[in-house]
Amino acid sequence: MKDFMMIFIGADYQELGLSPEQLQDRMGKWFGWNDKMEAQGILKGGNALVPVAKRVSGPDRTITDGPFVEGKELVGGYYIVSAENAEVVVKIADDYPDYDLGGTVEIREIMVFDQ
Amino acid sequence: MEQKIVDHLFRHQYGKMVAILIRFFGLSNIETIEDAVQDTFIKATLQWRSQIPENPEAWLTKVAKNRTIDLLRSLKAEKNRFDKVAYTVVSNHTNDIFLDHEIEDSQLRMIFVACHPSLKPKEQIAFALKTISGFNSKEIAAALLIKEETIKKRLSRAKKAIVKNKIKFEFPSANEVQQRLDRVMEIIYLTFNEGFHSTNKTKLIRKDLCGEAIRLTKLLLKKEKFRSGNLYALFALMCFHASRLDSKTNSSNEIVSLEHQDRSKWFFPLIKIGNNSMNKAMEYDVISIYHYEAAIAAEHIKAKTFENTDWNKILYWYSELYQLQPSTFTQLNMAIVNLQLNHLEVAQRILDQISIAKLEQRAYLYYGCYAEYYVKKKDIVLAISYLNKAILKTHNDLEKDYLIKRKVVLKSL
Repeated sequence: MKDFMMIFIGADYQELGLSPEQLQDRMGKWFGWNDKMEAQGILKGGNALVPVAKRVSGPDRTITDGPFVEGKELVGGYYIVSAENAEVVVKIADDYPDYDLGGTVEIREIMVFDQ
Repeated sequence: MEQKIVDHLFRHQYGKMVAILIRFFGLSNIETIEDAVQDTFIKATLQWRSQIPENPEAWLTKVAKNRTIDLLRSLKAEKNRFDKVAYTVVSNHTNDIFLDHEIEDSQLRMIFVACHPSLKPKEQIAFALKTISGFNSKEIAAALLIKEETIKKRLSRAKKAIVKNKIKFEFPSANEVQQRLDRVMEIIYLTFNEGFHSTNKTKLIRKDLCGEAIRLTKLLLKKEKFRSGNLYALFALMCFHASRLDSKTNSSNEIVSLEHQDRSKWFFPLIKIGNNSMNKAMEYDVISIYHYEAAIAAEHIKAKTFENTDWNKILYWYSELYQLQPSTFTQLNMAIVNLQLNHLEVAQRILDQISIAKLEQRAYLYYGCYAEYYVKKKDIVLAISYLNKAILKTHNDLEKDYLIKRKVVLKSL
């Protein structure tokens, strides 16, 4: 088994102006997905990210405050799951709730360093 | 771990939180408070993914309160003023404000603010649906069949009027209460009707609107000073109608007419609550339109089958209603009842008196009624031509389907 990170991009609820009912509906779908992965024992962790950001860059450690990208390019959170291969994770990502809001899931294998 | 949140918690909590926070920070900060509450829900949808707090309502209220303080602080122009205000306000109120009956009290105040005469009637309903019931402008637009832009304008005008006229977050004075309550009841009934008369294609919104109207009336009935025969009658009326809500459409979401509804599916507990409320309504001297409309709804419910409907009694109630408050819709209903009684000439006379423009988006009912008139006259060609007019006039897919099916039936006659 390998570990994969599913990175959620776009579908910024703030920017989309969803109603309380829609937000609760979205949350229910995330719960459902979360529960399903936990029941399968494949979920290893994950978090949502606050949209406010800082960047440190260059030899001078220049600090800049976000936003750097538009909402549709913003990383909103991630999950780490264990799976046989990337194709299996693609299937898992089928339940990501926000495709209809223009959201994207990027799947990346977590590199294992040989001892 | 199974995670579950009460249905509509967010939407219901929206109105509660806005009301509580306005009690804290004043109506003049309504815009900021609404933003803070919205931010709080977004935060919750992200944070609760991995762990729901033990007391979600308390979590939401606390976060929203802190968020409001943050937002108000960051409004530079307000800064100096706010620092002084915040501490006095907060320390004066202690935590009583979060007790259930105080929350209800705040929500009731909000209802009266929404019905304040300095808001235009059209702004009142939009504002009430937003701030009390927690719908956003898109949902209100869908429910009322109005453009979202228009709703946004109405909401913004309402908020401006509240701030400009320095409306206070309190109940109207004793001599004003009854008059304001009349408007409150109108708004509630409008909300209910928007839900009940299925101007919307999604069942969910319809049910939500009806549920809101009933919830707000219940809230008002809890306070003795707001109770009246009218209010009890309105409550009864909505219970009677709502008991049929689920049987109005079938499993494939098609309209089922009163004649073909499965009467065993009507929701009996609501009918019982309606009956109790109707008895209370009769203890008062004043008879209102709500009394008559409830009497008509009760008459339909009493009939074991459609054929058993006492149309004469219903016609009587409609004439009483019309005398108390003449309206085009009552006329139309009287025409329909006369058709049921086979009083074809009377029905036609009434129909010809109706000014169609006054029916607005429900004009299709007029043409539908005329179609049925010609069916009874055995003139199928004219009946179909009127049905075509009705189909052209309805913007609701469900009703359109219903009328088209009716046309198919007529063509096969």
